[in-house]
Amino acid sequence: MKKIILFFILSVSTVFASSYDELLLKTQISIFPKITILDKSLNKKLINNEIIYTIIYEKNDFLIAEKIKADTESIFLNSHIDTYKYKINLLNISSLSNQTKATVFYVLNLSKSDVKKVSQIAIKNNILTFSYDINNLYNGLLFSLNIEKSTVFYLNKKILSYKNINFVSPLLRMVKFIN
Amino acid sequence: MLRKIKNSLSLKIIFSIIAVSLLVMFILFLVLEKINEDAFYKVEIDKANIILKTVEPLIALDLYLGMKENINSITKELVNNPNILSIKITTENSSIYSLSKNNNLKKTKDYFVVTKDIYQPNSKKIIANILLTYSSENYKKLRYEYRKTIISLFIVLILLFILLSLYIKRLLAPLRKIASYLNNYNPDIKRSPFLYDENNEIGLIAKELNSMQNKIQDYSEKQQNINKNLEKMVEKKTAELKTQLYTNTLTGLPNRTSLVNDIISLENGALIILNIDDFKEINDFYGHIVGDSVLIQLSKKLEYILNNRSNIKLIHLHADEFGLLFTKEIAYSSFIKMIKKLIKEIENIILYHEDNKIVLQITIGAVHGIDNALERADIALKLAKKISKEFVVYDKKLNIEHLYEENIKWLKRIRNAIKHDNITPFFQPIYDTKTSKILSYECLMRLIDENNNIISPYKFLTIAKKSRLYTQLTKIMIQKSCEYFQNFKYNFSINLSIEDILDIEIVTFLKTQMQRYKVADRVVLEILETEGIENYEKISKFIADMKKIGCKIAIDDFGSGYANFEYILKLNIDYIKIDGTLIKNLDTDKNAKILVETIVDFAQRLNIQTIAEYVHNEAIYKEVKKLNIDRSQGFYLSEPIADIKELL
Repeated sequence: MKKIILFFILSVSTVFASSYDELLLKTQISIFPKITILDKSLNKKLINNEIIYTIIYEKNDFLIAEKIKADTESIFLNSHIDTYKYKINLLNISSLSNQTKATVFYVLNLSKSDVKKVSQIAIKNNILTFSYDINNLYNGLLFSLNIEKSTVFYLNKKILSYKNINFVSPLLRMVKFIN
Repeated sequence: MLRKIKNSLSLKIIFSIIAVSLLVMFILFLVLEKINEDAFYKVEIDKANIILKTVEPLIALDLYLGMKENINSITKELVNNPNILSIKITTENSSIYSLSKNNNLKKTKDYFVVTKDIYQPNSKKIIANILLTYSSENYKKLRYEYRKTIISLFIVLILLFILLSLYIKRLLAPLRKIASYLNNYNPDIKRSPFLYDENNEIGLIAKELNSMQNKIQDYSEKQQNINKNLEKMVEKKTAELKTQLYTNTLTGLPNRTSLVNDIISLENGALIILNIDDFKEINDFYGHIVGDSVLIQLSKKLEYILNNRSNIKLIHLHADEFGLLFTKEIAYSSFIKMIKKLIKEIENIILYHEDNKIVLQITIGAVHGIDNALERADIALKLAKKISKEFVVYDKKLNIEHLYEENIKWLKRIRNAIKHDNITPFFQPIYDTKTSKILSYECLMRLIDENNNIISPYKFLTIAKKSRLYTQLTKIMIQKSCEYFQNFKYNFSINLSIEDILDIEIVTFLKTQMQRYKVADRVVLEILETEGIENYEKISKFIADMKKIGCKIAIDDFGSGYANFEYILKLNIDYIKIDGTLIKNLDTDKNAKILVETIVDFAQRLNIQTIAEYVHNEAIYKEVKKLNIDRSQGFYLSEPIADIKELL
């Protein structure tokens, strides 16, 4: 019975949740944490010496967020990304405030205004932002990737110009910049 | 070729430059080759490393992010580079990304292998290793190009050196021209100057060479003139010397040397030597100028007498001697006539000097024949002088040579006796006639010959006097007599000739010996009166000097010579030794007895002691006693003895 209820919930959630490309999601899950540690100023963004990897979602995407967390933790074992200890927080957009402590915001599909809100808080608190959807970069998020003929990285050049974001130069050579 | 290089300065310089340059270039080539080989290698390695360094961050990021497509894309892109032959990426998970061209890389020289570790971005963790195989084609091409450039450069340099060498050779070519110009240079031959207009070092050498050539020519001309003058002077002097050699400078007549040569060249002939008697007296009395004038006048007179007879040659042998050489055979009678005519003609010559008449007398020695003519004529002349004849013609029967041989033999014996210390004094006692006691001894010279014969001086003293040995004999007698009597208290007499007294060497020696043996006050010096005491002043001075040191003086052979009583008075003598020829006939010759009585009377009045020698028998001794002669000596009393101890 429990299985039936869970299947039902997931099915309902899936019906009401936004649509996500599984391959893209999988790619982002494996790459975004790695991109995180390519920031040479990462140490200034750590919270209690931990990377606080915060996934921001709308309430309909909670399960997706949960899955992302689970998949990420299955890739980066032992709560470590390379040498950095990390912790994944799931944060409903409604709970986001200026007091939210985080190193990275991984933003799932949100409304345009919510994206801007995330962007303002991230800029203010010096938080790296990764977006599932590259279009969110036009609304103030920092980094995203898309699978085209190959995997293509996109970076919001305007946000990059803010202080304390200092990616390794090879990465900058690989990305496509969005103004 | 090597000889040509060795003899050519320009070729030496050129070949030295080429050799040094080639060596330098070769060394430079090797050094540059090595440097550039390393440099080119490093450049290519650096290029490969730069490629790796460039792609490494991208590959690192792709590996980190797991973007295999990107890695493949990068490797493909790299392999497109013509120099990259292959690329191989090995990750820590042993994943290999490898890509290569289908080249057959057989030789390791064809490529380089460069590896690099790939670090995780923003970390020091090595996540992979990349191995790049890089083609050495470019490296080889670079080296080839470099070599080509260097070789071209060297070829250009060699060409430049060759041009430089040719230029140096051209520059130095005038030196060779100067050398060939100087070849067979003869300062006696005038040549046009060496033409070289350039105002460089060679030009200066050429200029100085021309100047030096002029100076050498001037000097040579001067030397030639000097040589010519010298040759003339030598010729003139030679002629003069020749004339002097064969001519008498006073009369201009041929001299003795000329005569000797003529005699050698003749086969027949005769020779007359005429000597002016007492010519020394003319010289001493009238002086040498008059003497020379007499000789010149006589020579002219002789020329006049000969009247240019071609077969008679007039010769002036020396001072007062002339010769007449008959160059052709002459009859003996004509020869004698000629001699007599000469004597007569010359004795008729009267020469005047101021108011004095000078009349010449001559003695002639002659030889009829040419063999040993000069020596034989000379012998004949001496014989003529000796026997006081106007002339003597040499004849073998005269046996004159024998006398000469005897003289030579005696001189040899005297020399040997002196050499072997065989000249020794014998001592003959002189007795007091009244008491018959020995008062003194006369030292008489004796020669002991090789057979121990005792020889009296009358046999050799005359010969010795003509040689230099006489002085030695006198010295020996003086020294040995003084030495002998230094140990006896007797007085002793030493005989001295007038020549001895006039000889400073003998007088000095006599004084020295008397002082040495401290016998001066016991010495009686017997001076031979027969020799004629001519220079009374000198003799008087000698006697005074000797008496001062204690000597006594005796006149020996008194009564035989020319001394008169007046001179004897002036000489202040102590003894008169009456001439033996008077004593030995005292018992038979009344005149001798009268003369001896006169001498004794004269001596007694002057308080001079008299001595009789040659007392050879009792009769004489008795006469001596009767005549009151103070002292006596002679064989009757005692012969001369070698050692007086026999009588003591």
